[in-house]
Amino acid sequence: MDLLSGAAADGKLLAGGQSLIPLLNLRLARPEALIDLNPIPGLSYIRSEGKEIAIGALTRHREMEFSPLLAEELPLLAEAIPQIGHPAIRNRGTLGGSLAHADPAAELPCVLTALDACLVAASPNGERVIRAENFFTGFYATALSHQEILKEVRIPLDRRPVGWSFLEFARRHGDFALSEASILLFAAGTGDHCTSARVVVGGSVERPLRIASVEQLIRDELALVSRRNSLADLLRETERRTAIMIQSSGAGGENSDYLSHLTGVLVRRGLESAMERWRKR
Amino acid sequence: MTGAQWKGQAIHPREDRRFVTGCGLYLPNISLPKMLHAAILRSIHAHARILSIDVTEALKIPGVVCALTGEQARALSKPLRPLIPLPVETPYYCLAYEKVRYVGEPVVAVAAVSRYVAEDALEKIHVEYEPLPAVVDPEASMKSDAPLLFEPLGTNILWHDCFTYGDVDGVFSRAAHVLSERFLIHRYSSTPLETFGCTANYDNSRQYLTLWSNDQRPGQAMPILAHSLGLSITQIRLLTADIGGGFGNKRKPPYLVLAALLSKLSGQPVQFIEDRRENLMGLVHACNGVMELEIAVGEDGRLLGLKVRDIADEGLNVLNPTVHSLLKLGNVTNCYDIRAVRFEGYSVMTNKCPSGANRGIGKPFMCLALERMLDGVARRLGRDRIELRRQNLVPPEMMPYTTPTGELIDSGNFPETLNKLLSLIDYESFHEEQKKARSEGRWLGLGLALAIEPSTSNQSSYILTTGKRTASGAAEAAMVRVESDGSIQVVLGDVGSGQGHQTAAAQIVADELGVGFEDVQVSPYFDSLVSPWLYTTGNYSNKFAGTDVGAIQGAAKKVGEKLVSLGAHLLKTAPEELELADGAVRSKKDPQIRKTIQELAQVAYRDLLALPPEMEPGLEGRCYYRAALADLPDEQRRVRGQLFVSNAGHAAVVEVDIDTGKVAILKYAIVHDCGTMLNPVIVEGLVHGATAHGIGAALYEEFIYDEKGQLLTTTFVDYLKPTAVEIPDFKTDHLESPSPYTPLGMKGVGEGGAIPAPAALANAVENALEPLGVRLSELPLTPERVWRAISLAGRKAD
Amino acid sequence: MKAPDVVKISLEVNGVRSEGEVEPRKTLADFLREDLGFTGVNLGCEHGVCGACSVLLDGAVVRSCILFAVQADGTKITTIEGLAKGEKLHPIQQAFLDHHALQCGFCTPGMVLAAVDLLKRCPHPSEMQIREALSGNLCMCTGYVNIVRAVSAAAEIIQIPEKP
Repeated sequence: MDLLSGAAADGKLLAGGQSLIPLLNLRLARPEALIDLNPIPGLSYIRSEGKEIAIGALTRHREMEFSPLLAEELPLLAEAIPQIGHPAIRNRGTLGGSLAHADPAAELPCVLTALDACLVAASPNGERVIRAENFFTGFYATALSHQEILKEVRIPLDRRPVGWSFLEFARRHGDFALSEASILLFAAGTGDHCTSARVVVGGSVERPLRIASVEQLIRDELALVSRRNSLADLLRETERRTAIMIQSSGAGGENSDYLSHLTGVLVRRGLESAMERWRKR
Repeated sequence: MTGAQWKGQAIHPREDRRFVTGCGLYLPNISLPKMLHAAILRSIHAHARILSIDVTEALKIPGVVCALTGEQARALSKPLRPLIPLPVETPYYCLAYEKVRYVGEPVVAVAAVSRYVAEDALEKIHVEYEPLPAVVDPEASMKSDAPLLFEPLGTNILWHDCFTYGDVDGVFSRAAHVLSERFLIHRYSSTPLETFGCTANYDNSRQYLTLWSNDQRPGQAMPILAHSLGLSITQIRLLTADIGGGFGNKRKPPYLVLAALLSKLSGQPVQFIEDRRENLMGLVHACNGVMELEIAVGEDGRLLGLKVRDIADEGLNVLNPTVHSLLKLGNVTNCYDIRAVRFEGYSVMTNKCPSGANRGIGKPFMCLALERMLDGVARRLGRDRIELRRQNLVPPEMMPYTTPTGELIDSGNFPETLNKLLSLIDYESFHEEQKKARSEGRWLGLGLALAIEPSTSNQSSYILTTGKRTASGAAEAAMVRVESDGSIQVVLGDVGSGQGHQTAAAQIVADELGVGFEDVQVSPYFDSLVSPWLYTTGNYSNKFAGTDVGAIQGAAKKVGEKLVSLGAHLLKTAPEELELADGAVRSKKDPQIRKTIQELAQVAYRDLLALPPEMEPGLEGRCYYRAALADLPDEQRRVRGQLFVSNAGHAAVVEVDIDTGKVAILKYAIVHDCGTMLNPVIVEGLVHGATAHGIGAALYEEFIYDEKGQLLTTTFVDYLKPTAVEIPDFKTDHLESPSPYTPLGMKGVGEGGAIPAPAALANAVENALEPLGVRLSELPLTPERVWRAISLAGRKAD
Repeated sequence: MKAPDVVKISLEVNGVRSEGEVEPRKTLADFLREDLGFTGVNLGCEHGVCGACSVLLDGAVVRSCILFAVQADGTKITTIEGLAKGEKLHPIQQAFLDHHALQCGFCTPGMVLAAVDLLKRCPHPSEMQIREALSGNLCMCTGYVNIVRAVSAAAEIIQIPEKP
């Protein structure tokens, strides 16, 4: 904390370094100071705390990848993590680092927004909790002040999804996503009807984007047993609404038509996949 | 005479062991005492005048020893000699002088105690530029109002010519069908994992330069260095150790000159190694451009004539342009018997990275354009695309076959290559498979391409573009020596970069001298003082089969003859009664009558009075081997540009996700014929690697410049190389059609796979999207490009 | 607070205790190559993409070009030079030889170590698992075909993964 307060405004924090150090090597980033967070003890853990899972900010992706707890309790996260880069990247990259870096084409910002995670930020003045939805403010921009570091991520377990899916589209295996979608389906009671959904996309957008219009559609229309026609219509409409949302966000510049279409396709496929899982339960 | 027990053996390259234990002696691993490290400040503008350069602050940084600007380079060196003399002199030095002409062009160089400090120094150098309008598109660059890269030239067109062979106009006017198509050729490169580098040690006390480098053409580098530095070749020693991949890219005499000048100035050795960004921005790109083809076809499907208009965008290349054009010219008719050809070529400068050699050099695109058109011809005539090709192939009976441009297709069985390919890809059952897939909403396609893969460049072909005869023919040099203990040493001029030369050469010599493979040691390194070499020495155009083999065998033969001669003298028999076998010179009739090579060496080096009176001591043979078939251009401007022709057929089964445009390769088959396979393990490895690069070019790799000439793809994050996930397993098969003109019947392999791969994939994707009427005439086939093509064609089926 | 000009570090490389004095900004790759002489660590991009510089840090594969040497203080590093036991090659190295899984050799150290990492956590990988695990290591020469075959063969040979 002392270091943080003392550091110049453009000091940078080093966690996994998988995104930052390349920039330093290329001399594209020239921070006044570099503070290595890795030696800080007690920030790497994955714990079940009743209604929440708490993950320390310095937990490496690899820990999360092989965590039986996460595989059991947060399958959406477990599905996304192996798609982060390559093993060597995952051996060093950290949860906190990835979130603080806030690359919208990364996997974790998208997934944690879908999971409605709470991010705990610590500063010399104390701690505060920021909801994932409010944490990512733009390209590589977060709600953290330069005195704050991420300490922990808390993910609620009170609602278990009946279906989930994480899909990513990249040029090559391990690349950043051109587009990605996290889908969660929740049902109450007998679990025949979807009472709510979370649909969050990432990739070439500025920040993870909730597609509220699709969440609404799913709430209104989606049941476990749907007639083929109505399901087909639903999926088509899902794709259409997603594409509109992306198009209107301006993402992708002159390629926005392709990107919005692509994102629509991913959300549609993600929904289909989530439904498959629902049926199998 | 001698057994051929090592030829054809699948011996795993012995050099692999060195690399698998991390003992490769790559350029970056060579360190000299007091060595400095160089860094280069590069232009941030695509086109600008240099108004001023101030290095005073940079020189104050502790550890910075010296700096060099273009003005100083001009004072200290002569311009680098261009291949093509231009109407007006366009001096080109190792650093930009007066103007910068591409983003990444070297402007100032600094030598310091470490690369870290050298780069610190770059940040303190102030360069004032006056930006000028840049020209990035080759067709725009040809226009009269284009910004000129070299004002005195008055144009950006370095070369323009038109070659006509046969009655082209007549054929086209009479043809039943004429099809035309325009292709946009994209910019990419081979990107060896080890970047280019050199370590120069200029000894001012005796004006002698010792230079380590991973430049793959030492034969060309030496005279260029000598000329630029005002030295004679005797004042330069050029050394090359292990090269971490070449593919044609590892050639940059300007960097060699630069390092030498820094060493001269500082009085210390100076090492310069490109980093990856410098490599992608400024080493070498393959020409992009435009190709317009017209093909004349008879009613019966005979290909009668071909017209090509090729615009090659060379970036800033005044040193050796037109190479891509010449190679396209030589490959223009591919495997087919097409008798009338017109090739109009332009070599155009733009404000982009200089062009140069890469895997394929233009041939992949020549193949792409023609193979794509053939699918189009088949469609137009309602003919099967396989049968149309088969009908027009040059059959074995017609070989050696001279193409209209003068290339000699010396050997090959193209119909058999095609048959094997169809069998390997299971062509027969694909139609059903495709139908079934379509009914399930899956878009599968099969595409194939046939290609000649010529090798061994004949220097004479440049006479067509330069109008001057400064070099001709093709050759390599080698030395074989039996040492005094009977072990056998081989030194080859050619510097390998992963092709298993150390192993292949040993196989050849072992066969020639009748010894065990293990008895022959091949030096992996080039040393201009030790290795025999000529101008053509080096690793390029897959010339191992065409020249190196002859040199190695020739040198071994000389030693072998001497061994037999000496043996005859010592055994008191006639040489004709003796043979080299089993590590000895022995009587053919009674093998017990023998002298081992060790015994002969003992005499040749020590017991000199036992030698025949007229025989020199020692057991060394040198051979400077000239490849057969090299000729000069004739009056009709026909020439054999590359001398020995391998060939291949590639076929790919792809699945296109029409929602996203993503192309996945489900199956990939390669049938390859490089004549005699000296070492099938090495051959297969080279076929795999070149094919993978062709796939990269087809689907992933692209250098993208914006309209201001800024390169947007400067790291491996943006310039995409295929990984182990993107490259499928390959099904391969081989034919052996030996060349009658090379010593062992071998032909080139190494870049071949890169030639048909883009065409095979483009054809496959079009085949998959046939019902939608999609036509693709631009690579790479990124998901977005494919999707746009689909959207454009409109969805007709669901 | 100002960072020191040089920092003393102490680590174990290939089983041998090694010390160094480095600028904080010196990468682990450069430290291993220049200060300790492990030139088997190759630099192909220096921005963490090509994998040529891969080493094992406390048993896990990492890209040494995007790690600072100071971050490796107190760790155990294995480079390619530390895999063989004298003349006896590691099974993966042997498999690379047996299957000609290299040509120029520049990607090989990183590729072998990435394979070591894979087979430790996944002793019987499928072909796709091998390809995915190695997708962070670029090769320009081989087209990966023989590399995948070699790793597959090595997996059969290795019974219990050894900690390096």
